[in-house]
Amino acid sequence: MTAAGRDVALVDLVDRLIGGGVVIAGDITLAVADVDLVYVSLRALVTSVATAEQEQILPRMGDALARDPL
Amino acid sequence: MIELLAITDDATPPAPPVRAVAAAGLSALCTPADTRELTREALWRREELLEELMAGRDLLPVRFGTVVADERAAERALAERRDELAAGLDRVRGAVELALRVHSEEPDGPQASSGRDYLSARSRRAEAARELHEPLAAIARESTVLRGEELLRAAYLVDRAAVDEFVAAVRRLQDERPRLALLCTGPWPPYSFAREVSP
Repeated sequence: MTAAGRDVALVDLVDRLIGGGVVIAGDITLAVADVDLVYVSLRALVTSVATAEQEQILPRMGDALARDPL
Repeated sequence: MIELLAITDDATPPAPPVRAVAAAGLSALCTPADTRELTREALWRREELLEELMAGRDLLPVRFGTVVADERAAERALAERRDELAAGLDRVRGAVELALRVHSEEPDGPQASSGRDYLSARSRRAEAARELHEPLAAIARESTVLRGEELLRAAYLVDRAAVDEFVAAVRRLQDERPRLALLCTGPWPPYSFAREVSP
């Protein structure tokens, strides 16, 4: 993926890391407070990228398809 | 300390640094838990590992930040939740996730002088989002609209064989709408279709 493609896709990646994936109980070691901090940092990251995206000329589909389809 | 990346029922051994911990007919794909650096590079490295794994097998991504003490703990987690995890894996089998965000050149908050203008602008936006979402949802196995500032932010669970068709549909929708910017990324591991499996 190009650097520009990665910038565009970072919003999507962080969206998925924050809200996606199966939550497994078990012996999760990471404390809840740590998780919250991680998520706050991720949200800050995604907000800054989304803002940059809005402020620049709107990128188009052709630039943004991040990877070749499987 | 190991981080759980994904669950699979495919027995193919993963390439290092990923290891498979097997229990109850499932495998947890794990890496040693790094220091938790939240740089873009670290997030992309993790993502690349998952995508390499996804290329060769069906998998259910695990929530970011799931770290357990050792392999025994990973085995217990698999065994305790075996049926739900197996069902979650069946749900995404043979499919990948595609992401779509749609920016509009109009300011996000409708600039309305009256309540009536506001409502009509809001309903135009909802209609525009629906006209984008519905044809894509029809190609997808499942879809979900996510919260976001854009006109539309959504995730689609698409059969691997239908990805080309989906991308072509996005391009067509973009061509018909020069005032919108459609940002489509993927294929992603099916993160957004793994989260409803609740503990």
